[in-house]
Amino acid sequence: MSVYKHDYRAYSGRITPAWARVGVLVRYGLAEAWSSKITIGLGLASMIPFIIFLIQIYLANNPATRLLVSRNNLRFLDVDAEYFLRALEAQCWFALPLMSWVAPRLITYDLADSALPILLSHPISRFGYVLGKFVAAFASLASVTVLPCLVLFVYQCYCAPPGWTMANLSIAFGIVAGTTIWITLLSMVGLAFSSWVKWRTLATGVIFAAVLVPAGVGGIVTAVLRTRWGMLLNLPFMMTQLWQRLLGVPEMVRTARDWSLPSAAILVMLIASCLVCAAMLNARIRGREVVRG
Amino acid sequence: MAANANTLTNRLKQQPWGLWWLQARRLTRIEVRRNLLSWRASWIYFLAFVPAAILLIHAVFDRFDSRNRLDMSDDTMVLAGIVQFYYIRLGVFFGCLGIYARLIRGEMVERSLHYYLLSPVRREILLLAKFAAGSFSAILLFGSSIIAAFALTYLPYGTAGHDFVFNGPGLAQLEAYLAIAVLACLGYGAVFLLLSMIFRNPMPAAMLVLGWEAINPVLPSILQKISVASYLRHLMPVSVPGDGIFALLTVETEPVPAWAAVFGLLVLIAVVLAYSCYRIRRLEIRYTTD
Repeated sequence: MSVYKHDYRAYSGRITPAWARVGVLVRYGLAEAWSSKITIGLGLASMIPFIIFLIQIYLANNPATRLLVSRNNLRFLDVDAEYFLRALEAQCWFALPLMSWVAPRLITYDLADSALPILLSHPISRFGYVLGKFVAAFASLASVTVLPCLVLFVYQCYCAPPGWTMANLSIAFGIVAGTTIWITLLSMVGLAFSSWVKWRTLATGVIFAAVLVPAGVGGIVTAVLRTRWGMLLNLPFMMTQLWQRLLGVPEMVRTARDWSLPSAAILVMLIASCLVCAAMLNARIRGREVVRG
Repeated sequence: MAANANTLTNRLKQQPWGLWWLQARRLTRIEVRRNLLSWRASWIYFLAFVPAAILLIHAVFDRFDSRNRLDMSDDTMVLAGIVQFYYIRLGVFFGCLGIYARLIRGEMVERSLHYYLLSPVRREILLLAKFAAGSFSAILLFGSSIIAAFALTYLPYGTAGHDFVFNGPGLAQLEAYLAIAVLACLGYGAVFLLLSMIFRNPMPAAMLVLGWEAINPVLPSILQKISVASYLRHLMPVSVPGDGIFALLTVETEPVPAWAAVFGLLVLIAVVLAYSCYRIRRLEIRYTTD
């Protein structure tokens, strides 16, 4: 097509800072993610264990309750690192179905509808696009993991006798570190697999499979080759061990065999998983359109 | 009563069974080719054959003593664990989810189902042919992977392995594992085919099924009957107990005879398929909303 007018000039006014452009993607991403009734249902469902744990803190710090059950075992009323580990595990596992539902909504629509070339023609880089989607996923997951766990901690600080907070401050750091690692990994896995599956409905199942199937394969490697290193493929097992160490919970002897893994190996594996996900995103998030025919 | 029966028999005889059979065969052939020979199906091969690949590494690199029966009994337990925990809970589950959810819902997403619905084929024939194709693909993949895993478990033991398979309980165990794989493919397949017709996005429902199957052993015995995996557990030739907290919470149900477990599962499959046939009669496509 011929271009007759040659008086177009680049925009020379004030431009928005780069972070603000990413912020637009985050805002729209969050709106898209939470516009679904299923997302809201999953978010509400993840509050059920939080409420149960909240009631437990109230009962544990209530003198009347303690007096009533004092003749029996008071162990279940203890609010210690093990209690927070249980809360952390419950909240973090609720994050998996939420992620498997939210991540395809964030990214698959753009790819399936060939909207990516249009989005990337705006003044935003590929990295900025992925960062915006990542922040939206991360914030969605943070609302059901780190926030409820920290609220539990703060409520316990408020209810407990003076001195409890300072003596157990490491638990709060453990909660923040443990949930941050988990939701970072989950966001990366969710976005990477969503970008590779064109069919959004299938992407939800694929994200579940991406977490659970390697765990099964790791179990087979451990059992067949008689090596504990197979457990490095078992994400639930690795994360449980990491959370135990971060919160300072003594490792429970679950089986006769010692399958515990060094923290360094777990961290290397988690970083490697994130890098693989980043490579998957790098391969797919490109401003191009493939037309077959 | 007898007259009614005669009328029904006559009506059945008058149906164009030959044409239906031909249509079903052609549809099945198209679907099987799409399920097995496309690049998109490669992940199902991975799901099916990854245990066999690990067992191959074990067979090639680990040392075997043909007289060491202790190792062989260990490997027998490992194989049972692979079937019970990997194939039934993960491999067949996700494999069938991918295969069967694609049969109807996938065609809707790709906007090609209306070609089938416009052609002069009864919808029930279409559904059953697609189910047959999915079942053939899933059974072929997971059946052959179980045979490969079984062979790779006992081949390295040489004569001791040969004795175990042909003069011991080995062949009976292989038969049981294959029967479990076939029933798992049919059971999960029927459920996922129905879910893909009921829901626009069958995945949340499928994940609920996964969660239900996972917590099923700790549920009361009456609730354990509403599950594919619980029927299959009764068919296991070697039972592997659960580990950790699940072992404490597991509710041991009365052992069910093999024929009852198979019959129960077949009834479940038949009921689900009959309802799917009823649903497809009323199936409407709105591509704008799908």
